[in-house]
Amino acid sequence: MAYSFYPGCSMEATGKAYGVSFEAINKALGLEAKDIPDWNCCGATVVANVIGDFPQQAITARNLALAEKNGAGDILVGCSSCFMNLAWVNERFKTEPEFAQKCNEALSAAGLQYNGTLRVRHLLDVLVNDIGLDEIKARTIKPLEGLKVACYSGCQTVRGVRRPDFDDVERPKVLGQIVEAMGATAVPFTHAARCCGGSQQFTNVNMIYDLTGDVLEAAHQAGADVIVTPCPMCHMNCDAYQKKINQVKGRNYDMPVFFITQLMGVAFDLKVKELGFEHNIVSPQKILKRFGL
Amino acid sequence: MCAFKYNPAASREVYNLESGKYAQQCMQCGLCAVTCPARHLMDYTPRQLFKMLFAGEVDKVLKANTPWLCTSCCLCTVRCPRGIPIIDVMHSLKHYHFEKGTKAPVATLSKVFFDSMMKRGRVFELGMTNAYYMKSGFGAIKDAMKMQDVGMAMMKAKRLPLAPPKKVKGLGDVKKIYDKAVALAKEGH
Ligand code: SF4
Ligand code: SF4
Ligand code: SF4
Ligand code: SF4
Repeated sequence: MAYSFYPGCSMEATGKAYGVSFEAINKALGLEAKDIPDWNCCGATVVANVIGDFPQQAITARNLALAEKNGAGDILVGCSSCFMNLAWVNERFKTEPEFAQKCNEALSAAGLQYNGTLRVRHLLDVLVNDIGLDEIKARTIKPLEGLKVACYSGCQTVRGVRRPDFDDVERPKVLGQIVEAMGATAVPFTHAARCCGGSQQFTNVNMIYDLTGDVLEAAHQAGADVIVTPCPMCHMNCDAYQKKINQVKGRNYDMPVFFITQLMGVAFDLKVKELGFEHNIVSPQKILKRFGL
Repeated sequence: MCAFKYNPAASREVYNLESGKYAQQCMQCGLCAVTCPARHLMDYTPRQLFKMLFAGEVDKVLKANTPWLCTSCCLCTVRCPRGIPIIDVMHSLKHYHFEKGTKAPVATLSKVFFDSMMKRGRVFELGMTNAYYMKSGFGAIKDAMKMQDVGMAMMKAKRLPLAPPKKVKGLGDVKKIYDKAVALAKEGH
């Protein structure tokens, strides 16, 4: 199956491990995901604060228009924040004719238009519904037996369109199904779709300490060996801020945080070099060792 | 006797914002208040904010840190029994604040993010971070020193590229779309 891929800014930077391991999985599964030509940043959750929602949505819509024009297929997104922006604008195009008309008027300033013919799909959606759990199971060369995983879907992953999409908006299941198809155990995890504090690292760091601290505690309480997520921001908060949270909150976590694509790479027995583990901050070694890596 | 004064007319300015009208549909059930993960840091919960609008207490609403602490997690929005798009109302309040020249840290961050995005069509995280601290002054720089270890770890893990991303070819188009959209937004919604 072919897709128009929207990488987003973070796959090249803070979420580098995601970008690299996505590429590896992409090849292994034969997903034909071609970048949307000349895609632009969607503005995350902050640009509307400066310019208002509509102008940010129009800028985001340029990507939808380019993908439609290019004709490579539905849009595939990995970053949850990008997913929310693209999927929500797409939803508005499909359900609010007035919005669609106005947004097309803005796009026409650049000679573009969007007819609303595409779907915006999260990577987890494509993995479970297009690739399928059977295929993931069949691909698994090294079953992840005995590995206890806290499946941290993240909030924007499952609430991008503000209604149930490919998963439940409060109690997501899909990530757990993928993890279990690879032989691991998804532990019951209360914080699967709770907020980590998002992008408040510089502006209200206490929020990250509190909310990501809760996520780490929940994973710890659930007896997880590792947290797995498809969201670059969740990953950064849980991984890069873990040591700081230990200091500030007097805790002692040593919880590796993997992107789902990294874990799939391990199960599929791909070259470990291609999975971007050098970008992980909490050492992944104790997990990798268990699987002979 | 009820001491609650009802004066929605005073709040017209807020109700007229891009998504401001939805605040009027609130039935004060309180679900958003118990839902919000950031409520313990907020001056007022979303429910209280909407109640203050009913009462015409616009000044209080505009001083509240509530919108600036909203992470857009969308949990209140999927739960609200009145279907109020609370995250959109928060965006509108922040935008309104921003236009009034607020010094809220998130406003500064949003501005450097926007500048970075419009410079190349994609954001340059390290450049944006530096711009944020330049603009935020001494207090923020002191905070940054405390976070140095996190920054260093990110650098070491090669997660903060030193070079900016390549410029989008259609950057001129992005600007045209932006200008047109701003003009359309001003015409009304
Ligand atoms: S959400 Fe973040 S990573 Fe994704 S394009 Fe927007 S700014 Fe870039
Ligand atoms: S959990 Fe945090 S980073 Fe992940 S989607 Fe939610 S706010 Fe964003
Ligand atoms: S959940 Fe909705 S109706 Fe209930 S208090 Fe909050 S905004 Fe009002
Ligand atoms: S969207 Fe904002 S206001 Fe609503 S629950 Fe999340 S953080 Fe709170």
